[in-house]
Amino acid sequence: MSGIQQQWAEFHSYVERRDVIFYYVGYFSQTIIAAMADAVKLRAEHTGAVGQTRRKLFSSFIEMAQNIVHYSSDLHAKEGQATEPSMRRGAVFISLTDGVYYLHCANPVDGEMAGKLRPKLEHLRSLTIDEIKAEYKEMLRAETPPDSKGAGLGFLTVARDASAPLDFEFSAPDADGASTFYLRATI
Amino acid sequence: MDNLFIAASASSPEVDFRFDERTLSLKGESYPENAAQFWGEIIATLRRFLDEGGDAGITVNVALAYFNSSSTKMLFSLFDALNEKAESGAEVVLNWYHDEDDDTIFEFGQELQEDFSALVFNDHAVQS
Repeated sequence: MSGIQQQWAEFHSYVERRDVIFYYVGYFSQTIIAAMADAVKLRAEHTGAVGQTRRKLFSSFIEMAQNIVHYSSDLHAKEGQATEPSMRRGAVFISLTDGVYYLHCANPVDGEMAGKLRPKLEHLRSLTIDEIKAEYKEMLRAETPPDSKGAGLGFLTVARDASAPLDFEFSAPDADGASTFYLRATI
Repeated sequence: MDNLFIAASASSPEVDFRFDERTLSLKGESYPENAAQFWGEIIATLRRFLDEGGDAGITVNVALAYFNSSSTKMLFSLFDALNEKAESGAEVVLNWYHDEDDDTIFEFGQELQEDFSALVFNDHAVQS
């Protein structure tokens, strides 16, 4: 095997061993999300997901990707100026193990955001699926929270579509309080 | 007033509001970057049409295959506006199309029916 093929073989064998079916790291913009959404749809179809699973995977993917565009603390800039339309940095990957899809995302957050996310997600983890649906219904009819760029429904939507409580972690914060936020949904 | 037509994009649906025919249609997927802005302008135009008066019936056809969480919230306000019109006497028919095995969109239709009881709600399960 040549050097290039060897590199590919090693890379593929790692990807297969980790059951990864989709991976992206870098800046997220709306255009990039729309293109990835197409790719995720195709991947789910090719891996044999049934209609309802495909839709849940797609929905959770969009919510996670748009969270990165809205809330990642790493805003793309050139010569000190934020680029327009805005792009923010993060990563997503999807794995498929024994018929179960896992959707992972990660992005940098500042200390204040971490402080908001933690209780929100801990609360979501404590709810049953019926309680999640009830809270979703309530939030749908409520005023949008002032700190939300969406509708305050994003995590509830992912939690509703997931088949297990959402898992999350934060990396140890640096001197400024910034850390990496990791979220995993089981579909 | 002028009809409102917005062609579909990768992440926003086709909006075809034929005010002259009193037929309003939405078709496609909705996850625009800023749902509040995208839907806010559509709802503002719709409200102007509804405020013009006239109690003739209105038909609303919704065939959205996917909408993200922030679009969901905005759609709720859109149907709220239509429900108010129905309460003031105009017959408003909502044809709600969804894939036959799409529980999420079916259930959202049920929510609408529950909250906006003045609308004549027709559920249409479409075979995929």
